[in-house]
Amino acid sequence: MSAAPTVVLDAAQLARSLKRIAMEIAERSGDDDNLVLVGIVRRGAKLAERIASELRVDGKRQVPVGTLDISSYRDDGKGSPGDPRLIGRDIPFSLDGKRVVLVDDVLYTGRTVRAALDAISDLGRAESVQLAVLVDRGERELPIRADFVGKNIQAPDGQRVYVRLSEIDGADSVVIGERK
Amino acid sequence: MAQLAKIDVVSIEDLQTSEIERIFELADEYSEELARGGQITSAAGLIMATLFYEPSTRTRLSFESAMHRLGGAVISSADMQASSAAKGESLADTVRVVSSYADLIVLRHPHDGAARVAADYASCPVLNAGDGSREHPTQTLCDLYILRRKKGHLKGLTVALCGDLKFGRTVHSLIYALARFGANIVAVPTAGMDVPRYVLERLASERNYSFSTVTMDELKGLAGGLDALYLTPSAPHQMALFTGDEDIRQIPSAEPPAALDAFYVTRLQKERMTGKEINSSEYVRFDARALKTSRTQAAVVMHPLPRTNELAYELDSDPRAVYFEQAAAGVPVRMALIAWLIENSEPPGRGARAVAVPIRFKGETLPPRCANANCISRFEGAYLRPRFTLARGADSSVLALKCDFCERELKIEFVGHVRSRRYYRYDDTLQGYVRQWIEEGSLAVFESVKQAEESGYEPYKRGPQRDIMKADEVARAVDLLADQMIADLPDLTSVSMVGVISRGAILALRLRDLIESKTKIRPPCAALDVYSPADALNPIDGSDEFNVEGRTVVLIDDVINSGWTVQRAMATIWRRGRPAAVKLAVLIDRGHRAVPIRPNYCGKNIPTSRSERVQVRLAAPDADGKSKANDRVMIYSIVEPLKETEPAS
Repeated sequence: MSAAPTVVLDAAQLARSLKRIAMEIAERSGDDDNLVLVGIVRRGAKLAERIASELRVDGKRQVPVGTLDISSYRDDGKGSPGDPRLIGRDIPFSLDGKRVVLVDDVLYTGRTVRAALDAISDLGRAESVQLAVLVDRGERELPIRADFVGKNIQAPDGQRVYVRLSEIDGADSVVIGERK
Repeated sequence: MAQLAKIDVVSIEDLQTSEIERIFELADEYSEELARGGQITSAAGLIMATLFYEPSTRTRLSFESAMHRLGGAVISSADMQASSAAKGESLADTVRVVSSYADLIVLRHPHDGAARVAADYASCPVLNAGDGSREHPTQTLCDLYILRRKKGHLKGLTVALCGDLKFGRTVHSLIYALARFGANIVAVPTAGMDVPRYVLERLASERNYSFSTVTMDELKGLAGGLDALYLTPSAPHQMALFTGDEDIRQIPSAEPPAALDAFYVTRLQKERMTGKEINSSEYVRFDARALKTSRTQAAVVMHPLPRTNELAYELDSDPRAVYFEQAAAGVPVRMALIAWLIENSEPPGRGARAVAVPIRFKGETLPPRCANANCISRFEGAYLRPRFTLARGADSSVLALKCDFCERELKIEFVGHVRSRRYYRYDDTLQGYVRQWIEEGSLAVFESVKQAEESGYEPYKRGPQRDIMKADEVARAVDLLADQMIADLPDLTSVSMVGVISRGAILALRLRDLIESKTKIRPPCAALDVYSPADALNPIDGSDEFNVEGRTVVLIDDVINSGWTVQRAMATIWRRGRPAAVKLAVLIDRGHRAVPIRPNYCGKNIPTSRSERVQVRLAAPDADGKSKANDRVMIYSIVEPLKETEPAS
């Protein structure tokens, strides 16, 4: 490691970002009770649960949460560069007529989101799909954009954005560091 | 030599109640005969072929044993996945060929509705030994047979179904059958493994039948008595009126029954899940405690086997644990079913059952795609066109169609009339017309307004129309798009252009020509049809092939609205390969996005209301300057039929 990782969001800032995303989702969906959250495993799923709990506590509304497991493609130069694809899902409710908010931790190339859209459209006829991400780091390869963004980050080439969540990593933070 | 009637048993519903009773009589006879060690030759000379596209020990061996015990012969393929299916042979061809080797086919297949397809194409009878997460009728016959043998009758029994009620196909068949025989059902699903809605809807619409669902926690409370459980009354709950607004599961039930007659516990179907829907440790575990209450002491415990952890081994010695008898009944019951087919081959035989006639979609009007991602119609290729019948939908604002293979309902928003070339947003005032169109074979259905218009349909009635861009403005916007692309794309030699049929493809060729005149680089060009199921991406620049792998693909459409078209177009591109990047170019962005997609290049933003339509007119690529002078962008509103009939106030 040449440079120390830069902290972009600390635990308190991360919590505020999520709260704001939850508020925006609540505002934009009005009284619509067709709202559902679908998180992308692993960290997007945890974030979706946290947003659901914000909506439960502040908005007094119960929003169903499902998950999509989409494997990330190999970017280590070894093997064939397969794109992200669906490897599992846990959506124990119908998506017909639902307003789906897809939740992920980092939006980068857009390839994971594209695979997630395919999976959602295969599952039924959702009314709409909106995208909520904690971090948008730009550098899109596909015409995908987020509807709700916690923070926009410009990360230098070769650097990576790491979202750490207490459920998985022991503590909450977003840092930029060297690619491991 | 005996012969078999061409009666396919794909679903338990293929057998009438009296026929099931006759099969049980035969099963009783065979059980006794087997116990006596008698020699049976009813099926001598007949050959059964077992085609198992999915592993199974029990079902397969019991079918094969049944045929041998009847004096018939069995042929089989060790592993269908590894043989013809792996070579890409269609299910239709396989069963056609096998029909000429055998008198009876037993099929197990991973896709929903596969047995229906096999039955259609095989000249001999097909018995479904499980297709996807749908039905497993012979297992159901065994279940009913054991219940009847243990309890003496089926009518009025109260059966608790526990565990995985979502993927458990044995359970779906059993539910339909119990409803038919007038038994009561209590569903006790593991969290998230509820009986699918289409099963409930079918019970409600076809049998006017419903049942209660209780949670696993309430079931665990059984030790304290059944009072906490609200079960259906001792006759099946008859609903006077079933409305779509009411959640079927929440329909109140009457007083609890005196006692439970059976517990039917299912296995967690790991192989049918796409993810980790549930943790195995959260699954039901059934032990002797549940049988100790006054209301459950007479209940038998059933399980389709194999079990995993859901049944405690301590139960095995309890006389009320009947799952091994259930498995043993597999042979005499399957013998009885085959013998019943032989019986019916003799005159007078059995009349054909009334079946709903599938809707004909004529000529170029394509049937829609089945909504079930595991439906056989989505795997078998072009020969198997999706097939639908009219469903009795609960929601009157959409047209409900039922897939003829997997029975999943599909909700249609836009319908069209083939001869007048008009399309309509469906509502119940159109019901009469649609039925008439179905009879005439003149119904078309569309997923979206875009699909309707791409198919050459006009809205039933359009409001005033106005031009918002004339030919010179269209030309300037196209020029602007080309400039945006040239400025943004670092290496035009790595660019491939894909236009969405039809106007997106015309636009792609115009952009290609502009880019060539400005940069001397001529990117390859293809047209993409989002509504054509196979082979939907074809070159339109005279070349033989079109590559997306590693290319920067510029996807081009005339108007972007919801964005679902772009999502489908990208899905088609990804089936061909992995592009380095995809950029989106549109002439008009009219807003109302329903997916998180944003164009990279846009000719003009035109804010619109939802009831408005934007129509782009572009002259064909080989047209002269004069027709190009007619290029237009128009906006008009759709007057929906319902609104027109509203009285003026």
